[in-house]
Amino acid sequence: MAASLSSTASARLLSSLRSGSLSRGLHVTAARCKNRAARVRVGKGDRPLTYEEALPPHHIAHRKGWLSQHTGNLRGEEGTAERTVEDVFVRRFIFGTFHGCLANELVIKRRGNVLVVCALMLQKLQPQKFYFLIGYSETMLSHLYKCPVKLEVQTLQDKAVYKYL
Amino acid sequence: RFSRVQCVISGLRVRPPHATPAVCERRSRDSISCQPAGGPLLPVPRALGACSANKTCNIIRSRLPLASSTYFHTATVFSSQPSSITVTKEPDALFQRVSLLVKGHDKSVLDSYELFATMAAKELGIAISKVCELPKDTERFTLLKSVHIFKNHRVQYEMRTHYRFIELSHLTGSTAQVYLEYVQRNLPEGVAMEVTKTAMEKVPDHILKPMWEEDPIDNKLSQG
Repeated sequence: MAASLSSTASARLLSSLRSGSLSRGLHVTAARCKNRAARVRVGKGDRPLTYEEALPPHHIAHRKGWLSQHTGNLRGEEGTAERTVEDVFVRRFIFGTFHGCLANELVIKRRGNVLVVCALMLQKLQPQKFYFLIGYSETMLSHLYKCPVKLEVQTLQDKAVYKYL
Repeated sequence: RFSRVQCVISGLRVRPPHATPAVCERRSRDSISCQPAGGPLLPVPRALGACSANKTCNIIRSRLPLASSTYFHTATVFSSQPSSITVTKEPDALFQRVSLLVKGHDKSVLDSYELFATMAAKELGIAISKVCELPKDTERFTLLKSVHIFKNHRVQYEMRTHYRFIELSHLTGSTAQVYLEYVQRNLPEGVAMEVTKTAMEKVPDHILKPMWEEDPIDNKLSQG
């Protein structure tokens, strides 16, 4: 979904200019002021992150692309909520079907009637099992959503690490 | 009078745009036979040696600069058969203006789609009268950041819609049908949406000449 996040001013700084007073500055902030959505907090430097995970959501139209592409969010178009719910279900379904094999977030595209799910997987299973799971998920999803569902899978040895946080 | 000719152009070499940076591409022959069944962690040179019988696998592998990655070959969904050409005796409809409004979230995708549509129109010999970029629409809303209380802390979201406007002039109905079908089949995924407005040209016979140019004396005599 195309959305960019920008936070309103959440910190108020009071500074007193009197030379005689002891307090120089006063921060008045509530405990929940920082944005935490889709962000990974900085840690000790041992946690590998992909490019998708490393960039926060306000970079979406600038350094990041879109994970799910449909016309529901355009001005004058309908079906936003339905597409979103379908996307969430498809992501959970594929995550559960290929448990532990996903290297990155899914990219879901809708071209006409067809739902195309592009996935990056790790080579944890044998290719025969991969083929079976791909066919199974395609059939199940197309029966559920009454539209052709296509799964395009590319496999990698390891996750592509962009950064360590 | 034009007779309506319906045909679909298949095999035009203009490459349609796609939105994402092509995470997954489909190959005609995948390298599944190269992958050993037991361990997924074999290094690349050994995998190359294992598939010496399959020559195309080696070619695919050598193109990839990164560590080994495989593509799964799945059934093609988008293959369409070309429809037959039919000729009818009805007069063809004439359009003075066919305007396409393309909407999307990503401006670069709309740029490439505009290039694709204008190139297709030029190849078909359609006159393009106008190609312009309308100013973008931004839909913003402010929500509370927290689930409970903290009214002073909000979050703002926005959704931007970019537009492209392409206007074609003086088309026949069959040309418009062919062009629109081709261009709509190759719409990028979800990011661009098309709204077409057509204007018809039609002059009825009884309006062609004004009534006072005909003989008024004859009319009066027949009525009186």
